[in-house]
Amino acid sequence: MRIIAKLDVKPPNVVKPVHFEGLRKIGSPAETALKFYEQGADEIVYMDIVSSLYRREILYDQIEKSAQDLFVPFSVGGGVRSIGDFVKLFRHGADKVIINTYAVQENPGIIDEAAKIFGSQAVVVNIEAKRARRANDTWTCYTDCGRIPSHKDVLAWVKEVEARGAGEIILQSVDHDGRQRGFDVELICQTVESVSIPVIAASGAGSMEHILEIAERAQPSAITLSSVLHYNTVTIQEVKNELARRDIEVKV
Amino acid sequence: MKREVGIVNYESAGNLYNIEKAIQAAGASVKLLEDESQFVDIARIVIPGVGSFANAMVELRENGLADGLRKAVLERGVPVLGICLGMQVLANIGFEHGETNGLSIINGEVRKIKCKGVIPHMGFNHIEMVNGESQLFKGIKKDDQFYFMHSYELCNYTDILALSQYVGHQFVSAIEKDNIYGVQFHPEKSRAAGLQVFTNFVNISG
Repeated sequence: MRIIAKLDVKPPNVVKPVHFEGLRKIGSPAETALKFYEQGADEIVYMDIVSSLYRREILYDQIEKSAQDLFVPFSVGGGVRSIGDFVKLFRHGADKVIINTYAVQENPGIIDEAAKIFGSQAVVVNIEAKRARRANDTWTCYTDCGRIPSHKDVLAWVKEVEARGAGEIILQSVDHDGRQRGFDVELICQTVESVSIPVIAASGAGSMEHILEIAERAQPSAITLSSVLHYNTVTIQEVKNELARRDIEVKV
Repeated sequence: MKREVGIVNYESAGNLYNIEKAIQAAGASVKLLEDESQFVDIARIVIPGVGSFANAMVELRENGLADGLRKAVLERGVPVLGICLGMQVLANIGFEHGETNGLSIINGEVRKIKCKGVIPHMGFNHIEMVNGESQLFKGIKKDDQFYFMHSYELCNYTDILALSQYVGHQFVSAIEKDNIYGVQFHPEKSRAAGLQVFTNFVNISG
């Protein structure tokens, strides 16, 4: 199981959103990425959380600076709207490109097209799931950092993106993100069961117990951590040691 | 003087920036190879690979990159290192997005991984060397791990340098044949062990 550090970036800072809002500054993306790389992160995820919302192009120099000293995979997303955007991100330090808003709102076909050009393994679909109020165990896809609802059902959408050639899913929860009260276990379990591509569990880790719970119950391919790392609640090494003690395969 | 490593630059080559800086970290300088004439005096060639087989071959055939590569590697014996898809395109044929002829520099076919695990195979994994010593893996220890991200694998039976296991499935993770090297994993994404592979490749003799 991979342990991934996620940076939510509102240039020029890494910030910590709560419910995707209420931002708190953490530091520069390059420093923060390097810190988690040195702590032993298997990968780094970089999300520009404002570029999609404001239809502003992602800032490439920030990405290049962050990638400079990382020798683990670096996945980057935020406002990706074209194959040209994929190319530019790869040329500025991304190993994988993350897409959400444009695919959900306008053109899911960009997933097929990108997979055909860059291979599935480089195309990551980010999902912002929000639990529907009236129904149990149904979730709706949101975009623009949890602000705008779509008509897409999460469990149907994950199957669709898999069929279209996505190589990986980052599964965020609008309800749980940044609250540090644990993952949406049901959402993650059902998603992992629905697809046979890697699912990266995100949103909600506030303690070692939360991480161990999701690792054991949902067995996702990877877990992303952010608040718990920013606030030094746990270190990546501690998480890996605890997972290894439970016979979950990690690179210690 | 620093050794110069040529990187084959095709549109879908993908994470070029990260390949460049890893090779530079291994002590070499970098030259991007964009047409056939640039292969003439190059001493080392790296074929990067984030992409899909069919698309990569179309692009390699444009600008004479495929011809430049074949001449340098097969006629002049220039050491070449294919990374991930860059190793796969060395084969005869690939089955990603249809059936496509490869560079036919080594024997083999590229097929979708068939196993019980989730695909793509994504993450750090071990390699097991099958043929004793290799200059490419000098200094690499048994417990070193490398980052894999792939849905397809190279099926080859004659040039295997290392094998890896994924959910009970064994696949070729490195090949070596004379001056031709290939790795399924991404050394540019594999921390110190990966940089060691680049250093070894830069310093390969012969």
